[in-house]
Amino acid sequence: MENNQTADSEETKSCEYDPNVNQDELIMAQEKQIAEEIKANIAMVGELDDLSSLEREYSNDPVYFSKVATLLPKFSNVRRTRPDGNCFLRGFIFAYLEYCIYHREELTRFKQYLEASKEELFEMGFPKFTTEDFNDMFMEVVTDLEGSGSIDRVEAIINDAGTSDYLVVYLRLLISAHLQKNAEFFSFFIEGGRTVGEFCKQEVEPMYRECDHLHIVALTAALGVGVRVMYLDRGEGSSVVSHDFPEDKDPVIHLLYRPGHYDILYKA
Amino acid sequence: MAGRALKRLMTEYKQLTLNPPEGIIAGPTNEENFFEWEALIMGPEGTCFECGVFPAKLIFPPDYPLSPPKMQFTCEMFHPNIYSDGRVCISILHAPGDDPMGYESSAERWSPVQSVEKILLSVVSMLAEPNDESSANVDAAKMWRDDREQFNKIAERLVRNTLNIPYP
Repeated sequence: MENNQTADSEETKSCEYDPNVNQDELIMAQEKQIAEEIKANIAMVGELDDLSSLEREYSNDPVYFSKVATLLPKFSNVRRTRPDGNCFLRGFIFAYLEYCIYHREELTRFKQYLEASKEELFEMGFPKFTTEDFNDMFMEVVTDLEGSGSIDRVEAIINDAGTSDYLVVYLRLLISAHLQKNAEFFSFFIEGGRTVGEFCKQEVEPMYRECDHLHIVALTAALGVGVRVMYLDRGEGSSVVSHDFPEDKDPVIHLLYRPGHYDILYKA
Repeated sequence: MAGRALKRLMTEYKQLTLNPPEGIIAGPTNEENFFEWEALIMGPEGTCFECGVFPAKLIFPPDYPLSPPKMQFTCEMFHPNIYSDGRVCISILHAPGDDPMGYESSAERWSPVQSVEKILLSVVSMLAEPNDESSANVDAAKMWRDDREQFNKIAERLVRNTLNIPYP
């Protein structure tokens, strides 16, 4: 907090400082404007793109370029997600629903899971009528896909802001519930002297908070869905490191991680 | 998106009408526009705001409940957590990261499972127990801490104002 104040006063020396204006509010207004621009220009989940588009993206960056090259034989396509703090969850649910429409038994299993999860959330003290609202929407989407499930339908659902955001909210509740149910275990991984409950209120349940390792561990464990994340960063070595969540499950979803962001990958 | 928000606000209004929490009345200013509400909040018993009936307005964003509403008292107020123009500044009205006050980590934050009712109940407890750590009105916070008698006098005048009873 003190550091912040020094930084503020240094910065304000150089530009004109109006003591009547709350500087934090100005920063928040600017952040909001950036978020609005991203919203207007980038689809929540974009079209299927050839993986060579990633190579082009990094044509001037030898480290990333050579790492992307190692992805090429294994993966053929990428779908980019909107960088709004919900990218992991949006990418996850898109890829999972897409998997489900080709694996109907999984869709049935997921529907049963969703149905049962509602009561569990109530028992854990999540407010009934607001939680129910988000669960209802998810059930509606899954029921819809049972009938007319197609990739076009998944694209339409995930790019409809109202629907898509509600699915993201519910996934956040499922993560929160899983973390709180296993609080003793997860408490060792939470930074900043916070309790698991506080972490959930601050980093999990609110929209637009980015997903970290813990979120991914919790979501994949709660749903029993395997995800493989390919880490494309400046780390050592020439290949892309991958990690499976949960470790003992065959991945049905592949995501590409670049620092601070997740996109969907498709196997060749 | 606004369609979902409207549906949710209508449900919340119905809930609040069927099951009103004690000392709180709230609903849309007119039924043409569900994104602007009026609320009447009774000063909590046993506090300096007791008996007052404080009017406020709530403005909901088009992406409610993903983002929280804003709340502003429309009567004169003097309180550590209310700006001099009436805007309410408590943690539940802010998502984490959208944080002008640096609230404590244990503070209740906005998330989509919160509701108008939760906000209004938080405002009632805020009236009962000001938080002078994160103050929107520094003068009020200082007086609350150092000169409670004077603070109570001002509060009594505000209570009388809301009831149209002249101050002796």
